[in-house]
Amino acid sequence: MESSVKQIKNSKIPINKRRKPNLNITNIIFKGFLWIYATLSLYPIVWMFFYSFKNNDEIFVSNPFGPPTTLRFENYVSALTQYNVPKYFLNSVIVSLATVCLTIFLSTMFSYATARMRWKGQNFFRIFVSIGMFIPVQAILIPLAILVRDLNLSNKYLSLIIPYTAFNIAFSSMVLYGFLRSIPMELEEAACIDGAGIFTTFFKIILPNLKPAVATLAIFNFLQAWNEFPIALILITENSMKTLPLGLLFFQGQFTTDWGAMGAAMVIASLPTILFYIFFSNQVEKALTIGGAVKG
Amino acid sequence: MERFFSNKKAIAIFVLPTLILFTIIVFYPLIQIFIKSFYSWNGLSKGTFIGFKNYLRLFEDTTFKISIKNGLIFALFLTIYQIGLGTVLAFAASNVKTKGRNFFRIVYFLPVVLSVTVVCQLWLSVFNSEYGLLNKIFQIMGMDFMQDWLSDRNKAIYVLAFVNAWQYLGYQFALILAGIKSIPNHYYEAAQIDGASPLKAHLKITIPMLSETYRFCLVLAITGGLNAFTQMFIMTGGGPGTSSYTLTYMMYSSSFRAGEYGYGMAAASFLVLECLIATIVINRLVARERIVY
Repeated sequence: MESSVKQIKNSKIPINKRRKPNLNITNIIFKGFLWIYATLSLYPIVWMFFYSFKNNDEIFVSNPFGPPTTLRFENYVSALTQYNVPKYFLNSVIVSLATVCLTIFLSTMFSYATARMRWKGQNFFRIFVSIGMFIPVQAILIPLAILVRDLNLSNKYLSLIIPYTAFNIAFSSMVLYGFLRSIPMELEEAACIDGAGIFTTFFKIILPNLKPAVATLAIFNFLQAWNEFPIALILITENSMKTLPLGLLFFQGQFTTDWGAMGAAMVIASLPTILFYIFFSNQVEKALTIGGAVKG
Repeated sequence: MERFFSNKKAIAIFVLPTLILFTIIVFYPLIQIFIKSFYSWNGLSKGTFIGFKNYLRLFEDTTFKISIKNGLIFALFLTIYQIGLGTVLAFAASNVKTKGRNFFRIVYFLPVVLSVTVVCQLWLSVFNSEYGLLNKIFQIMGMDFMQDWLSDRNKAIYVLAFVNAWQYLGYQFALILAGIKSIPNHYYEAAQIDGASPLKAHLKITIPMLSETYRFCLVLAITGGLNAFTQMFIMTGGGPGTSSYTLTYMMYSSSFRAGEYGYGMAAASFLVLECLIATIVINRLVARERIVY
């Protein structure tokens, strides 16, 4: 049973060792192009790291481009005292992780019921929820703000987690629906004959088979929640509840002249995710590859 | 078996939480937008029904025209930059050995994992007119391009679009690269035997085979462009004047700053329609048939 599922999936996985068409001059142009864009992509980030260790004189006049001559850690000290970056970071992590868990939990159940069980209106409700994919989150900002105010949810983690989840469910359910459709029905038949109930089957047999799709969706949803700005802007006003995108608005409000401390705050905010990504980049790519095969 | 799959209690447990959440948080506000767009409403009271007046005012509002135009510019810019450039880079990377490919993939993807505010602040300091990196580079190279990038009425929107495009190129790049790698190799071998150049092989094989990936990428880029808000909010505040307004920004400022919620809702309902039309058109035109290898 298990092996037949694997076989079906394997036939879709590409052969890794392949010969692509190859020509020398094209190769050189391609390579140069890749390097030029790599510079454009990486240098601004490196520049930010550099200036987080510099003072204003170095940034503006004596040494704007290169690495810092002395490592001024006092920038980091003043960043940590001036801006509450760790708190914002923690808030973002909590909101994003909770969104991911809740979204995956709800959409696996929902898409299982629409993809494999039989009931009246299953297609109608599947399409109904997929409306969420075509509506921009921003569009319903005003009524959402009023709803959250009426429900007394303002300035709580839930006031972000619930809208994020509600919006992410649409895409996640669609991906999972496609994925669940491609798993052979014999899976449940075998479980049913062995006397397993529907819940045991779902949690013990179906969920483990969804791992690749769930990995994709976890990353996708995490990035969505991590970088969401407009909803957080409207619903969160209390400083201690702010997520990273909100907390790091230095140029709004007071005008900052201390570029070094600002840079240090941005580095503190970015470093954990950058390191996390570099360590797990293979998983991220695998997830995206499978996402590419499943969607639609 | 039948009893197993049509277990009513199980279906209710699986389906209801999602349906309730979705109806309250997404569907109900969506209906509200269209209803309240016919009202003059300050967000607190009941509001008064004024028919199509909000829409009539919208069509005469120059800010609305600017917002629509900026949304389209933004979407077009994202499409060209992320999908056009992303495709070329993905083709190039697909020819590189695995080790190098991983390096480029990581480097291109890094901006995606940064917080959007960090990216905006970072580019604000790059584009800063006095001390910014960009003007400093021009200064050193002795070129006369130094200027106040974000205070130019005609340029600001392109600068903002660039910042968004720069951040998310890596995501589109990874999707396209993943798509290319999932194309079976024998297609390329056949093309090689027939004497096709690598470029031609890509044009005739890769791009058509990627149509489903492209459909997804296009939806992301175009709806992302039409919805743009964060970059304007952080980097220009919609300015100079109203020159970098988008529909979302217009909705935001007329509701939460001017207190005209009904008017903001009319703009929002336009945004919904725009995105709906864009998604339907893309789905109709691109990848109508599913490709099975």
